[in-house]
Amino acid sequence: MSSDLDKQIEQLKRCEPLKESEVKALCLKAMEILVEESNVQRVDAPVTICGDIHGQFYDMKELFKVGGDCPKTNYLFLGDFVDRGFYSVETFLLLLALKVRYPDRITLIRGNHESRQITQVYGFYDECLRKYGSVNVWRYCTDIFDYLSLSALIENKIFSVHGGLSPAISTLDQIRTIDRKQEVPHDGAMCDLLWSDPEDIVEGWGLSPRGAGFLFGGSVVTSFNHSNNIDYICRAHQLVMEGYKWMFNNQIVTVWSAPNYCYRCGNVAAILELDGNLNKQFRVFDAAPQESRGTPAKKPAPDYFL
Amino acid sequence: MGAPEKSQANTNSMQRVKVYRLNDEGKWDDQGTGHVTVDYLERSEELGLFVYDEDDNETILLHRISSDDIYRKQEDTIISWRDPEYATELALSFQEPSGCSYIWDHICNVQRNMHFNTLNSEPFHSVNSEPRELPAVELSTLPLILKTVVDTGFADQLRLTELILSDQEFFQKLMEVFRMCEDLENIDGLHMIFKIVKGIVLLNSPAIFERIFSDDFIVDIIGALEYDPELPRVQHHRKFLKEHVVFKEAIPIKDPVVLSKIHQTYRVGFLKDVVLARLLDEGIGANLNSIIHSNNAYVVSSLKDDSTFIQELFARLKSGTTTQESKKNLVYFLHEFCSLSKSLQMVQQLRLFRDLMNEGIFDVVTDVLQSQDKKLVLTGTDILILFLNQDPNLLRSYFVRQEGFALLGLLVKGMLTDFEENMHCQFLEILRNLLDSCTLSGSQRDTIIDIFFERHLGQLIEVITASCPSENTADESDKSVGPGRSAHRQDGTKPEILSNICELLCFCVLHHPYRIKCNFLLNNVFEKILLLTRRAERYLVVGAVRFVRTILSRHEEQLINYVIRNNVLKPIIDAFVSNGNRYNLLHSAVLELFEFIRKENLKVLLKYIVDCFWDQLVKFEYLASIHSLKVKYEQCLDNGGTKDVVTVVDLRRRNDERALEREEERYFNEDSDEEDIASASVPRNQKGHQQPNLSNGVASSYSQLSPRSLVDYEDDEDDEDYKPPPRKQPETSEDDDGVLESLRLKRKLPSKDKEPELVKKQKLSKNSKSKDSVFAALCSTLSQAALPSKKTSISIQTSSRTVEGRMGSSENNQGDVQSISRSSSDNSDIAGEENHIETEAEDSRSFSDCLHAKSDNIQLGGEERPLVAPKSSPEMAVNGS
Repeated sequence: MSSDLDKQIEQLKRCEPLKESEVKALCLKAMEILVEESNVQRVDAPVTICGDIHGQFYDMKELFKVGGDCPKTNYLFLGDFVDRGFYSVETFLLLLALKVRYPDRITLIRGNHESRQITQVYGFYDECLRKYGSVNVWRYCTDIFDYLSLSALIENKIFSVHGGLSPAISTLDQIRTIDRKQEVPHDGAMCDLLWSDPEDIVEGWGLSPRGAGFLFGGSVVTSFNHSNNIDYICRAHQLVMEGYKWMFNNQIVTVWSAPNYCYRCGNVAAILELDGNLNKQFRVFDAAPQESRGTPAKKPAPDYFL
Repeated sequence: MGAPEKSQANTNSMQRVKVYRLNDEGKWDDQGTGHVTVDYLERSEELGLFVYDEDDNETILLHRISSDDIYRKQEDTIISWRDPEYATELALSFQEPSGCSYIWDHICNVQRNMHFNTLNSEPFHSVNSEPRELPAVELSTLPLILKTVVDTGFADQLRLTELILSDQEFFQKLMEVFRMCEDLENIDGLHMIFKIVKGIVLLNSPAIFERIFSDDFIVDIIGALEYDPELPRVQHHRKFLKEHVVFKEAIPIKDPVVLSKIHQTYRVGFLKDVVLARLLDEGIGANLNSIIHSNNAYVVSSLKDDSTFIQELFARLKSGTTTQESKKNLVYFLHEFCSLSKSLQMVQQLRLFRDLMNEGIFDVVTDVLQSQDKKLVLTGTDILILFLNQDPNLLRSYFVRQEGFALLGLLVKGMLTDFEENMHCQFLEILRNLLDSCTLSGSQRDTIIDIFFERHLGQLIEVITASCPSENTADESDKSVGPGRSAHRQDGTKPEILSNICELLCFCVLHHPYRIKCNFLLNNVFEKILLLTRRAERYLVVGAVRFVRTILSRHEEQLINYVIRNNVLKPIIDAFVSNGNRYNLLHSAVLELFEFIRKENLKVLLKYIVDCFWDQLVKFEYLASIHSLKVKYEQCLDNGGTKDVVTVVDLRRRNDERALEREEERYFNEDSDEEDIASASVPRNQKGHQQPNLSNGVASSYSQLSPRSLVDYEDDEDDEDYKPPPRKQPETSEDDDGVLESLRLKRKLPSKDKEPELVKKQKLSKNSKSKDSVFAALCSTLSQAALPSKKTSISIQTSSRTVEGRMGSSENNQGDVQSISRSSSDNSDIAGEENHIETEAEDSRSFSDCLHAKSDNIQLGGEERPLVAPKSSPEMAVNGS
């Protein structure tokens, strides 16, 4: 099995998608692993934290170049693996294959784009349809999304989540009682964790212009960090041109790992490396140079009637 | 300058705008609808925006483009500015985002040129000399042509487009030079031609596309695009097209125009997805898509109107003499044909599907589903899904007839069949679609449900019982549910299939509660499904928990009583207990179940759980949910006593039997017919709860839907016990809800203030039409066309709504979100687009809010956020105008 899997990982690293049958087997394997994970998944240091990837496969390869290969480096990905970029399929499958191959070395948590509704609008659905000629791969992948953990806790000191906090959650233990195996709901704790944003101008809680989740201000973060005895919160979800951004007096940091987002935003990306003592180092990187990007490997289906 | 000529339809819709002007009262006046162009102002070298009325060609707007930074682009579809000549704010609201970004880009271009001019203090034209004519195409003139193509500013792009089009031989000659360069391996020449062709493609002119995508040129154009100087290697697109791509003809197509369009469509798709993938912007992508779309529509409608073609197709499909191989191709063809019919107008598509049904397409599929060829079978199911997406009742009407029984049977069988490595999720999806009570109606409903429950439910249950360890063996291994346990595989049914069955059953519980009562309460169906808890695969155990949770979400007394009387929760509790301290999905799912029971105040269940399982659960009392369960239980026993602190003192105290409510007491002593109990035992306040939300066909937790107040975190000790009142207060509040209510008021006063805000959010977030509705309100006349691929029914609904109306109405189907979502999938602007679906609250922001927004979409911290003026508070965003 692992030699097959290794072969598949090599194949995916060349940005060649797997066959449907391989995707199916991989997903079933992943399901068995992910079902054992906690809503607040415990992660040991050293670990490297990565933000949104959004199907930018070649930029993710840059990320691994900068951060080191898995499993040599431990990784925590904060969600939003798919949509917008050209290679959501290859990106997600590579991460999933690494997860199955090295379950203790890489942690994947769920972002707001890991959802049936969102992926139907922002590209992953269409990409699956184009690359496989049917949406079955999309169905399998979105089923896996339902099993992804919601957050992570690094050495009991750093809380990591895709979006942010929720007014329904004041202690980490309250996340325990979420039955996460479902489509991301439109409101409630699970929705907020994946959708909320910190905001300077907000006192306490504010309505989010995104229509889901909340905006939360510094006082909320302070009291959350205090009551849960954590040093800071690490999250993704918002583009930051410098790749990372601290807020509220270093109580929360946004990490963004999709350089030149959508191939045109001109931003740099970052990952956050934590060593065994939780010392921080941000590694900033640029988009992959044009030459290193192949043309799309998978051509449209070669047979056509109409 | 005059009015623009009638151009192609897609350009038309791209240029279609409404003009708004801010009046003295701060309201936006609609100035009319027309088409926008950028052109020279009369007798001037300056450029302006022109809007000509779509009906009478009158000039609605004439605006000299300013070099000052006065323009704002908002959402995907609005450009606004403060107009110095009109001395007020003006706004253009575009029908299509692509049109908006097109004009926006041009405004920016013009401005850039102006700035450049000022810097050089040279007149506009000397910098970008307007191309008066193109040189004759020869190898030696390539640099000049390249310079002309690459260096033209926007105004000149229009002129360049005209020039290229007016030279009938331009492309012919260019391609001749291309072939010559290729023969001579003149790489410099090839690189130049690449850049010229790329530049011409970027002009995004439908008329040019029409010419270069013609049979004469398209292959050479693709060839020219193989020589990208930025790529390390020459691409081999033509080789792929020639050697790997096969055009298959299931039934020969005679019409040459149709044939030519079929090939063109494939090649344009190839250009878009492969050759040009990196170069395309939205506008070009949209134009290419519309070429593909209209070709598909042409092809499908030509073929469908060719009655001999359709007849021959079905005659061959049904004929016994057709070979397996060609039958397979016919089915694949049929699938593609149905699939491309999405390009037809709604009405035509429906008519086509009805015709295909009358020709016997479902008989064909029935036949296909019995094939040994699994890929073919799956293509059959894909055809059914296309029908279901169009109108589920077409397929349902087939089941009213006798032949339909066989098809339904095949579908159930398909779901239970091991397709080995093939994916076969279609079966579950089809069955779910067929059984969806939201779209079922009339006689079809009864027939299809009757058949399903009578003939197939048992079949599904049997698969479960046959694949799970029996009672006896399970008892032995009861204590080891972990993954280490040896798997009990009684037969070869794949766990994946069991998981699908479980999902379908959950779906049935939600959609056919009455049937579930009739069918499930007999024959120990619950217990059989719960055999899944004995499986080694944890996700199946979780599936079983979810099933119980779904049953309970119905708030059906009869079901709840059944659960208690038959000790249905035992396997769940056992699974939870043997899961031990592992904090995994099973752990969370069971805790969520407990939370649900506690928060919904399902007293009989509370009592049942604590009475029967506390011995097992006590070691988990350190978990807040388990602890609160017990606390709640104590409270219930106390029966509305005067406790004002719930967490108190005497947790261990067992209350007397006399403290039980009389009804409950009766229940516990009773052994008689369940009907009897059901009528009396469950407190009335569980009635009238609304249907649980459906996400992914499964109930999402009620607690997540119920209104929560925003608690302050200063003293969160008692949040555990804090419980907002149920959405509908029971008429007879005979329990401690009243006490809790007053407690709540006492303790949580601060949070009360925030409640209105929350309510607002809930209303809004339920409203999934948001963005579209704003749009509809803005340009009611555009609304039909504005959302081109959206289903008609939704457009109508949307357009009839107003901004005010939306604030109040909140009961949209969840399902709508999906259909709306799809509609915008072709537009991919970076920032604003996500609002179409993701931001549901923004719908309340009024037009003027949008217009005044200052922030740029792609700024720090604004990844996918819609525009809100940085200083506007969230409340402002809600209150809008």
